[in-house]
This record gives sequence, structure tokens and C-alpha cells, in this order.
Amino acid sequence: MSNSTTQNKAEPSDQPQQQKKPQVLEEDDEFEDFPVEDWPQEEAEQAAGSAANGGSEHLWEESWDDDDAAEDFSKQLKEELKKVEASH
Amino acid sequence: MAGQTPILDQFLRSITDLVQNRDGAKLQDFLQIEPPLSDIYQQMIQELRQRYPSPQGDNGLLQRCEGLVPRTKGSSSWMAFPTFMKLYFAFLRDVNVDNLLETYNRLRGLLNQCVMALGDSQMGVIVLPTVLYLSKVLAKLAMGLDRRPELIAHILRSEGLVDREENIEKVTLVEQSANVVREAFIKCLTDRSGTPGPHGKPEGKRIGIYLMANLCLKLLFQCGKLRNAEQMFASISAQSPPLAHFPASQRVTYLYYLGRYLFSNNLFYPALIALQSAYDQCHRQALSQRHLILTYLIPCNIIMGRFPSQTLLQRPEARGLAEHFEPLRRLIIRGDYIAFRQHLSLGSSNAQWFSRKGVLLALRNRCEILVWRSFCRRVFIEGGFHGDTQANGQRGPPPYLYLQKLAVATRWLRSKHGQLPINDNSNSIMAQDYGSQTISEPTDPDYADLEDPNRATASDADQSILEKYGDYIAPESFFGEGGHLQENVPGHLVDGDPDADFDDLELDPYADIDDLEADQPSLLMREIESILSSLLTQGLMRGYLTHRNPRFAIPGARLRGALPTGFPNVWQTISAREKEDSSVPGWVRPPPRTTFGGPAMVSGGRVVNLSGARPVGVQ
Repeated sequence: MSNSTTQNKAEPSDQPQQQKKPQVLEEDDEFEDFPVEDWPQEEAEQAAGSAANGGSEHLWEESWDDDDAAEDFSKQLKEELKKVEASH
Repeated sequence: MAGQTPILDQFLRSITDLVQNRDGAKLQDFLQIEPPLSDIYQQMIQELRQRYPSPQGDNGLLQRCEGLVPRTKGSSSWMAFPTFMKLYFAFLRDVNVDNLLETYNRLRGLLNQCVMALGDSQMGVIVLPTVLYLSKVLAKLAMGLDRRPELIAHILRSEGLVDREENIEKVTLVEQSANVVREAFIKCLTDRSGTPGPHGKPEGKRIGIYLMANLCLKLLFQCGKLRNAEQMFASISAQSPPLAHFPASQRVTYLYYLGRYLFSNNLFYPALIALQSAYDQCHRQALSQRHLILTYLIPCNIIMGRFPSQTLLQRPEARGLAEHFEPLRRLIIRGDYIAFRQHLSLGSSNAQWFSRKGVLLALRNRCEILVWRSFCRRVFIEGGFHGDTQANGQRGPPPYLYLQKLAVATRWLRSKHGQLPINDNSNSIMAQDYGSQTISEPTDPDYADLEDPNRATASDADQSILEKYGDYIAPESFFGEGGHLQENVPGHLVDGDPDADFDDLELDPYADIDDLEADQPSLLMREIESILSSLLTQGLMRGYLTHRNPRFAIPGARLRGALPTGFPNVWQTISAREKEDSSVPGWVRPPPRTTFGGPAMVSGGRVVNLSGARPVGVQ
């Protein structure tokens, strides 16, 4: 009895899932056609932000080196280096 | 006869007019194929089935279609077009959408014939919009079937098309479609009317270059045959008018695919320029496209040493990207190379998203050196000599870091991650005496015996060795020292015991430098030296290494300080090197002395001002 119910359940629910899954995964990977063919460059720029600061928004972080000695990783490393130095 | 097919007659008359007026757009509008078709098409299909049933009606149908093209004096009567029209009517008449494989094949045949009609130097351009339309429908169908193979699996099975000729590389439906679309692309690119080449304008069939290229690229990316795109980009570089003269939608789409192609060829800087330009030109409301562009633009930048700012990650099109790229950023900055490896290892859930996007291997291979730079930098901060700050103007030693400290830090990091300890002392039994000392990789089963080289040579293995290699180590006969063939005693090892130890008999060219052995750096130290050499060679660290009393020294640090001198900014270092060549293969820019658009078209090698460009496609 329980066997047959699980079978009945499994079949219809499993199949659509299998069919849907790859579709959902890949659909957002497709570069869709644009609804309009052409547009002026103004329509490509960020409206509010670019007007306010002349289009030079800070989009990329070039200086990212971390000198924070209080960071956990740094603290542990420091202790380890001290420990080895002391033992020599 | 005419009275029997009033709608078909009218349809054919309209087509004749459209061909005469060279109205390609309207012609495409007439040649509908996608269901649901309107009533008038349904009625025409009924007429076709009654008056020209398949297949005996085909000849009659072709004769009717031959009247569509103007009969000029002899030579160019554009016969490809009537044949295409006959196929079009036959498609409407016979198509059975219950069999999607057959539908696909018919559609591909139809497009193929349309591309042949496109090839005509005078008339071909008229069917360009139709070629594009059919290509799109074919691409949609092929990609749909590629994603849901179960829709045609039963047909393939019943027709015995499964697993046939396994030794031949399978050409998928998507790739087949790409091949037809590429033919159309070539016809557009090689149109010789007007002024062809990079100095020409997009006119005639050339207005279709990027429409067809983009569609073909979409298909090639879908079927994973990127290599097939190489020739396309080369032909575009050689023959296409500048991309700037084409509409924004085509420019952005093309630069997106070009950027991804360059990325997968490890050309990260050209990829960055192409993708950044695609992003800059993309309509601000096209969020899904902007999202995809960012998905590849961000890895390009990370590999070159820049991370997306919070401003960028908070934009609507960046939604969902921070959760993938932020952990990566933190790991690279922290310098924990083992955590970095684990984060992007195949089994990890983080890696799956990167893998699906096709950027996993590039990130893994290219960013690890950045993690090592951060690691060395941290060890220098905590354990290095930062220069004598008290010695005002006096010459003291430059800042330096004993590599031994890096070895200590590496061992600590390994134990922190629960990896087997390594041993620097060559006298003790090592946990790991071959392979990398900085990471611990599971042993490949083929090399498992190396764990204990002596065990594998135990006598119980002899028999199996003899069974496997008997014909070689104990052949029936062999050539003796005198060069004569000699019979061999069965089972006798011609060259003796393969495991015999000949060490004592071997000449040791290094016998005299035994005392050097004592100074041999450990495997770990050698590996650290190699990694630092690599960082120095790539300019990601600046200074020099000493081998005896191993140190990394940072000379010339008095002015700017040890850290900025020894560990220069990554992005500035890499981009300064790459900027020497800012050309992007596959991207045709207006020639320096442009005959149209004026100097505004060229701005520092980047195409920015498009206000002077006329829209193409206007005849």
C-alpha cells in the first residue's frame, strides 16, 4: 500500500522537476535580444549617479590591501611567528 | 487553374511586387512560419494541400514560383529564390510540429536555401531580413531541443539514430544551426557592393554582419564550440566595417560575446576592454543583459587586481553577484591560500556557480598568485624587518623578510586547516616527501605505491610483474652482447632482477660536493622560493631574493616605505603592462584617418562618441 502511493507520488512530481531544473538553470545565462535596436549613449548611462558626479562613479576598488593587524587571521599569524621565534 | 487557389495567387502576386520593389522587410513579414498562423495562412495551406499535394505537386509549385523573379536577359535570373519559395510553401503544407526533429530538419533546409538566395550579388540583399528571421526561429528551436532533449529522444530512438557511429564526433542540432547561420554571416561579410572592408560603411548585405555573427556566437556558446568562432573573429577583423557604425543593440551583443571569447582564451585585458565597453553602451534599463555582462566583467577585473566597489554591487543589475564575488574578495585579501583553494575546489558548492558560468578555472588558476602575494605581505607585516627608522639618513640594511618565517607561516596554515604536517628535517620520516609542500593533495591512485616504495617490490609481486611484462623482461630470445640472437631459458630475466639495486655501481657526478648537501634547502623552502620568484617576475612584488640565508629584500624603500615598495598595487602593475597594447582582436575600430564621423569617432583608442554615426539599415 505505502509502496504504491510513493510510486504514484514520485512519478508525476519527479518528471517535471527533472525537466524544469536545467531550464531554470540555463535560462538566465542567455543573452536576450534587446527590445529596441538602437539608442543614444545617454540612455546607456546611469541616470541620477552620472549626472551628479560627471559619470565618474567609483566602480572598481583598486587599493584593497589589508593592513589591519587586528584581523583574526593576522593576530593568529603574529602569535605563531612569535612562538617559533621564542623557541629558537 | 488560377481560380482554384485565389489566396495563393494573391500571395504570389504580392511577393512578386515586393521582390520588384526590393522590399526585404515586408517580404519577411509575408513569409511567416511560426505557429499560430493567422486564418489567411491556414486557408492558403488548405489550397496548397488540395492543388499541390506532396510530393507530386512539388513540380507544379516550383513552376508557379519561377514566375516570382524578373526574367532578365539570360544571365542572372536568381533561380535560388523560386526554389526557396517552393520550399517555403512545402514547409507550410507538410510541417508536422508533433515531430520536432523533422520540423527542425525542414526548417534548416529552408534556411539553407534562403542563404543560397542571399548569395546573389544583385538580389540577395532582399532576403536578408528573411534569413535573419528564419535563423532566429531555427536557433530558438535548436536551443530549445538542446535544453529539453527528451522532446525528441523517442524519435531518435525509433529512427535508430541513437549511438550511431560513436567514433565520429557528434554534431549537435545547435552546432548544425550555427554552421548554417555562419554561411549567412559570410555572405553578409563578403558583400562586395559599395566600399567593402574596414573603410566601408555598412550597406547592402553588410548591414547584416553583426546580426548574423551575434546569432552564430549565441549558438556556438550554447553548444560549447567556441573554437569555431575563431575564424569568424579573424574574418571580421579583416573585412568588416567599424563596429561603431552599427546600432547599439548589435554593438553591445557583439562586444559581450567577443569579451567572453577573449576571456576564455585567457586574454583578460582585451576581454575587459570589450566587456567594459559593452557595459557602458548597454541600455540602462536592460538589466538582464547588464547582469550577464557584469558576470564576466567582474572576474576579468578580479584577475587583473580590481574588485567591484559597493557602488557597483548595489546596482540593480548586480543583484545576486555580491554573494559570489565578495567571499572570493575576502579570501584573496586575507591570503589564506588553502581556504581559497577549498573555496574553489570542484566539490565545493561555491565553485558550482563559477563553473556554470565558465569562469571557475580562470579564477582558480589566475587568482591564487594574488592570494600568495597577500599571504607574503601579511607575513612581512608581522614578521619582517621594516627598515631602521631611527637611522636618520644613515645607511642601514633594506627591509627584508626571512623566508624561514614564510615556512613557519605555511606550516601553521596547514595545521590550521588540519592538513598533515610537513617536516623540514631530512633525517626524520616525512609525512610528505614529494610533491607540493605548501598544500596537501590526495594521492593519485596511480602513484599510491610511492607512499612506501619498498612494499611494491616484495617478491609476491614478481609473478604479476612477469605476467604483465614477461614478453619484455623474459623474452623467448634476445640479442646478446656480441649482437647475436640467443635463445632464452623460459622465465629467465634477461636483464636480471628489475628491482635490483645498482646504486653502488652508479657514477655519482656530485660525489665531491657532499658537504653542500647539508646546506640543501628543504623542499618547502625551495617551493617558497619558486613562488616568490614568480611573484617577483610578474611584478606583483618588488625586490630581490637571496638564496643563502634565504631572504626577500626590498631595496629603495626609504622614500615610499617598505610595504608600497615591496608590494606594489596589483591593478596598477598589471594594467600598466597590458596598456601597452590596447587593441582588441575582433573589434574593428574606425581607421585613424576616418572619412566619416570626423575625429570625434576616435578617442584614445576607445569608441565612445556615436552621435555622428548614422543608423544602418536605412536605404
